[in-house]
Amino acid sequence: MRWLIPRLLNLDRRIIFLAVGLAILLPIVHPLKLPGLKVTQAVRGVYDRIEALPPGSPLLLSFDFDPASKPELHPMGVAIVRHAFRRDLKVIATSLWITGAGLAEDILQTAGREFNKRYGEDFVFLGWQPQPINVIIGLGQDLYKTFPRDYRGNDTRALPALQQVSSLRDIRYMVDLAAGSPGVEEWIVYGADKYGFKVGGGATAVIEPGLRPFLQTGQLTGLIGAMKGAAEYEALLAQPGTATAGMDALSLGHMLVILLVILSNVVYWISRRLPG
Amino acid sequence: MPFFRRTLPLVIAFVTGVALILQYYIPHEASEEFLTQLNDWLIVIGVFAFLLGIYSLGHVHATRIRRQAAGWGYSVVMFVGIAIGLGTGIASQGEVTTPDGTLSSFGWMYDNMLIPLQGTMFALLGFFVASAAFRAFRARTLEAALLLAAALLVMFGRVPLGEYLWGMLVGVNAPVAMRDIVEWIMNTPNLAARRGVMLGVTLGAIATSLKIIFGIERAYLGGD
Repeated sequence: MRWLIPRLLNLDRRIIFLAVGLAILLPIVHPLKLPGLKVTQAVRGVYDRIEALPPGSPLLLSFDFDPASKPELHPMGVAIVRHAFRRDLKVIATSLWITGAGLAEDILQTAGREFNKRYGEDFVFLGWQPQPINVIIGLGQDLYKTFPRDYRGNDTRALPALQQVSSLRDIRYMVDLAAGSPGVEEWIVYGADKYGFKVGGGATAVIEPGLRPFLQTGQLTGLIGAMKGAAEYEALLAQPGTATAGMDALSLGHMLVILLVILSNVVYWISRRLPG
Repeated sequence: MPFFRRTLPLVIAFVTGVALILQYYIPHEASEEFLTQLNDWLIVIGVFAFLLGIYSLGHVHATRIRRQAAGWGYSVVMFVGIAIGLGTGIASQGEVTTPDGTLSSFGWMYDNMLIPLQGTMFALLGFFVASAAFRAFRARTLEAALLLAAALLVMFGRVPLGEYLWGMLVGVNAPVAMRDIVEWIMNTPNLAARRGVMLGVTLGAIATSLKIIFGIERAYLGGD
């Protein structure tokens, strides 16, 4: 037994890497369909707001993330755009992150094709502009001046989807999917608080705990947290997607880390009690 | 000329700062137009900041290559990356697709290089976090033990399997659900700490802003 303690305390990290790799890969290759997913009130807060918007009204989406956060926020984006298209809302999208523009375009195109929605009439992607805070303030002043042309180079004044929106004052609700700053906080401080619209958030697991104060104060109507939040949203839509598919890997990954930490502490505790 | 080097910037900072504070509370057309104008100025200034950033980055890495400092090869990679990115961006006129709907070289780089590279970098974190947690996350003190317990509970309760196992352990109709425990940790100690940090940072930002507006903080004027 004594010989095992130092070996476990200094466990070769390649063994840990292998275990993590297997815990993530195996359920992707062979889905286990583990039970237990329940929809939280925070996720329902976003869903209910979108559900309450009258058909034809605009929904602003901001895709403020980059490819590093794709596994968490891309499924969330797909689920929200699907929901908006189901409700026949006019989706107006933008991105405060330059590396998020391509992902946003991909999400809109994928969901647009699925629901036979037409670009320019049912949804618009404004694209990215430098100086994110100024972009939010600019959108609050004049959308057409801030984005004279959309991501595809069209004249924004000529797009039917934007006919009822000239600035953020015409927006009732927006959802920001963010992996950091600029993101949810900026939209609340420079957009929602000044121009009077409501905000729903979607965030990576890293920043989601930091956004909770905004949820408690009501500055966020809801908050979708990471891949699990995206899976909850997919469950609300009754349309499983990549987030639901990732729940098995996430569950096993978490459980493995928990077991590793417990093992490490038990071994550490025993080692301290061994003589010599 | 002390007037242009010191007095004029201080006057501009004071007038602009006070005007923007007042603007926020004046819901008038002229006030909004003022903000729009100022916003345009900021965007123009921001473009110059970009150029300055590129110059600064280039200067630092050119110096490293010239001196053949440790890791200077990475600086060469940086220049090659900028050249390829800029070249394909200009060749594709900044468009990710061509008029016939296929991917441009710029779009191809985004889809096939940037997305997988960034995804890979972030995915590697999962492996290193697991390894680091095994080595470093030990209950050596009472505080560390509390942190460890909170972290394990949150990790356990924030995945569907955790909630399911909790239901099996204590019963589906148990008075406290796993997600209630997790929500309490997230919404009480976590939220209190986060709010304290936010208030502190915001009060600090307000204090610094007032110091700049009233000319007490002058570091932005540079040198002497």
